[in-house]
Amino acid sequence: MVDSATPLHSQPQSETEPRSVLSLHNVSKTYGDFTAVDDVSLSIPKGSIYGFLGPNGAGKTTTIRMILEIIKPSSGNIHILGHSSALDVRNRIGYLPEEKGLYKKMKVWALIQYFAMLKGMNKQAAKQQAWHLLKKYGLKDYAEAKVESLSKGMGQKVQVLSAVAHEPELVILDEPFSGLDPVNQSVLEELIRDMANNGQTVIFSTHVMQHAERLCDHILLIAKGRKVFDGTVNEAKATIPRRIILESVNDVLPLSTIEGVTEVLAIENPEADSAGTRWQLQISEQLNPQDILRSCFEKNISLSRFEFTEPSLHDAFVHLVGEDAREHAFR
Amino acid sequence: MNMIRLIAWREYMENVKTKGFWAGILIFPIILAGMYFLQTTLSNSTPTRYYIFIDQSGEYGEAVETAIERDHQQRILGEFVNYLIENRADADLELTAAGAGSDAAAQLIEGADTDEVAALDQWLDSGGLDFALTMVRPTLREDIPPFEQPSRQFIAAELPQDIDREASPEEIAQALKPYLSGDKKILVDSVPSDLFALILIPANVNEDIMRPGVMPQANDRPAGIQYWARNLTDSRLPEAIISSINSEIRNREYIELGVDNGIVRNVQHTRMRMSQLDPTAAEGEEAVSVADTFRQLAPIGFVYLMFISLMQSVQYLLSNTIEEKSNRIIEVLLASVTAGELMMGKLLGIGLSGLTTIAVWLLSFFLFITLYQSSQTELIGQILEVILGSELIPWFVFYYFAGYALYSGVFLAIGSLCNTLKEAQALMMPMILIQVVPLAMMVFVVRDPDNVIVRAMSWFPLFTPYLMMNRAAADPPLVDVVGTTILLLLSIVFVLWLSGKVFRMGVLRTGQPPKLTELLRLMRQGN
Repeated sequence: MVDSATPLHSQPQSETEPRSVLSLHNVSKTYGDFTAVDDVSLSIPKGSIYGFLGPNGAGKTTTIRMILEIIKPSSGNIHILGHSSALDVRNRIGYLPEEKGLYKKMKVWALIQYFAMLKGMNKQAAKQQAWHLLKKYGLKDYAEAKVESLSKGMGQKVQVLSAVAHEPELVILDEPFSGLDPVNQSVLEELIRDMANNGQTVIFSTHVMQHAERLCDHILLIAKGRKVFDGTVNEAKATIPRRIILESVNDVLPLSTIEGVTEVLAIENPEADSAGTRWQLQISEQLNPQDILRSCFEKNISLSRFEFTEPSLHDAFVHLVGEDAREHAFR
Repeated sequence: MNMIRLIAWREYMENVKTKGFWAGILIFPIILAGMYFLQTTLSNSTPTRYYIFIDQSGEYGEAVETAIERDHQQRILGEFVNYLIENRADADLELTAAGAGSDAAAQLIEGADTDEVAALDQWLDSGGLDFALTMVRPTLREDIPPFEQPSRQFIAAELPQDIDREASPEEIAQALKPYLSGDKKILVDSVPSDLFALILIPANVNEDIMRPGVMPQANDRPAGIQYWARNLTDSRLPEAIISSINSEIRNREYIELGVDNGIVRNVQHTRMRMSQLDPTAAEGEEAVSVADTFRQLAPIGFVYLMFISLMQSVQYLLSNTIEEKSNRIIEVLLASVTAGELMMGKLLGIGLSGLTTIAVWLLSFFLFITLYQSSQTELIGQILEVILGSELIPWFVFYYFAGYALYSGVFLAIGSLCNTLKEAQALMMPMILIQVVPLAMMVFVVRDPDNVIVRAMSWFPLFTPYLMMNRAAADPPLVDVVGTTILLLLSIVFVLWLSGKVFRMGVLRTGQPPKLTELLRLMRQGN
């Protein structure tokens, strides 16, 4: 288990770093005795897709609200698009809040137009953009419908479009995937990739690891308000010890002499009628699992099972914040 | 500023596009018009009332007949005066008690206004309707509809044949009770009809005449003339009868005393005229006209209009804020505009809706009085003209906006703290009650605008718009006007600043509205 007090990677880049569109320096937010966000620092490079991951109640939404200056941090400071306050660059940011809601009585295209105009687009351009987006993302037939007639998922798509219609440099999406069916989830993934290809920076929060794994260049793992990890997806996976599961009737202890094998442990065999014993080997990052397999042949260890799987981001998440997540679940 | 305008425009357009908005606006004039028509129809459609009159004394038959005829003539006269006002060639509201027009119609109208009895006597003496019609014809417009006489309201019915006219009063009353209670119908021209009343004058009725200084004798029978009727509220018939019989009795007394009847009548109709004069008016124009009186009463209307419109506007404000809050749209908005811009945008947008409401009301009012012309509506129209042309309008505009800014600030803060209308209602209650106070005082304030209590209360900013509007027609002391205005403006700035703070903090809150102590704590923290 990694000590959450000492983040594993990347201290924030200096403010002068031109490619950083957003940086947080020791940002905290307290409500009375409760600390929602505790001393978080991070830096987000321009054009990247950045994931905020963390269990429920970890402080993702609070962090996002502070970035947008909807609420003010209790301490620390935030630099966004070269300014010290999001209010100065409001029109260059797009935001989709966690809880989704729209004006029910408005027409879909007018709603997107309105939000784009609030971001400084002129009326005509906003209208054109609204229709363009609705056509591009499969909502053309609903453009003239009232928002209240849309299904929940469709409404959410409309809200995402209204958040990004003004083509902001920085897009912040709080839980954009929740409530979408698989087809629309991939439409949204496509939209996020389009924006990144377009040079826009996208930050989104989620607790579904697959999206982050597929999309993100960088991720921030946050639990109990504290940053527990900040880096690339591969770096996150690397925090998990690599394991090989073996099953054999022979003694496997000789394998422990191989360089890079850090631990050999007999574990319980879930298949009770099996003759062999199960072992778990922990191996270092440098060691190729093929070497273990070769050694088994050399040492005449007959295998009835040899399992090596690359860890997923999900494993890394559980590994990094597992305890916290469980605690939070009962809060 | 652009953002404020954009938000205001959306608030306004979304509001105006809903059916509920128009239903809310139009219900008011529709109900007023409906009430007006209903009242006119009801008073015109009172059914003919049949009564039975039995005079066993044989002395008052003529008097009662005269009384009922006079009542009918009175109605004709009233309708006729209305007809004159509607169809006169030149309508002129500046009617004063002193200087009415000199034509026949004007005289008739003035007479009916000042002394009904004398006017009626004159009407009857000069030959009633036929004469009046020929008299006033030259002063009426061409192409007017002919005058329609109102139908008689009280018609004497025959006593049912099985009842003896000479029986004792008790017996007659007993026999007619089933008819009076509606169980039996009397026949009028062979048509069964309801019997409205029985007027029974016993043979010894004169024993019951009351005179000053003489104690009435205790009796176990009903005293004097007996009026039997189930309907106790329509008192026109008994009143007409008793006043007619009283004047008959008095006439007889005069004759007994040797006084000429004609002299008495002339004396009775002798009267002094009175001119109401306004000391502040220019020389030669001091005479107080009907319009002047309305001008002084007008603040009541303005206060009422202000109350209704403000209540409607703040309701919209509240429900819109709560909608945005419970939908969490507010978060997107706050990522795009500042809380201050959002608040000002909403205030302006909803304020605009309020003005639309007033405009629609005035318009429908004008439409009504243009389409439906009668004496009353013509009068209303002229009053409206007087009021709209008066110096009260700038006052109203100022106090309307000031009151709106003040109250909407408070209501907006309430809305930002609540997630449902139900929660908001509990917090709204005290604010509504505060507005009821000046509303309840408005008639009193117009009568005594510089009362010490009224003056003191005017300094309380939440009352200022209402009370100062109320006093506006009476030229309140300068110190009151300037002082309360400064205080009001300062309070508006303060309330808007404070609600801005509450708003910023409240809009992102979820859960129950905070307790007062919690609210203060949150506001101290300043987020």
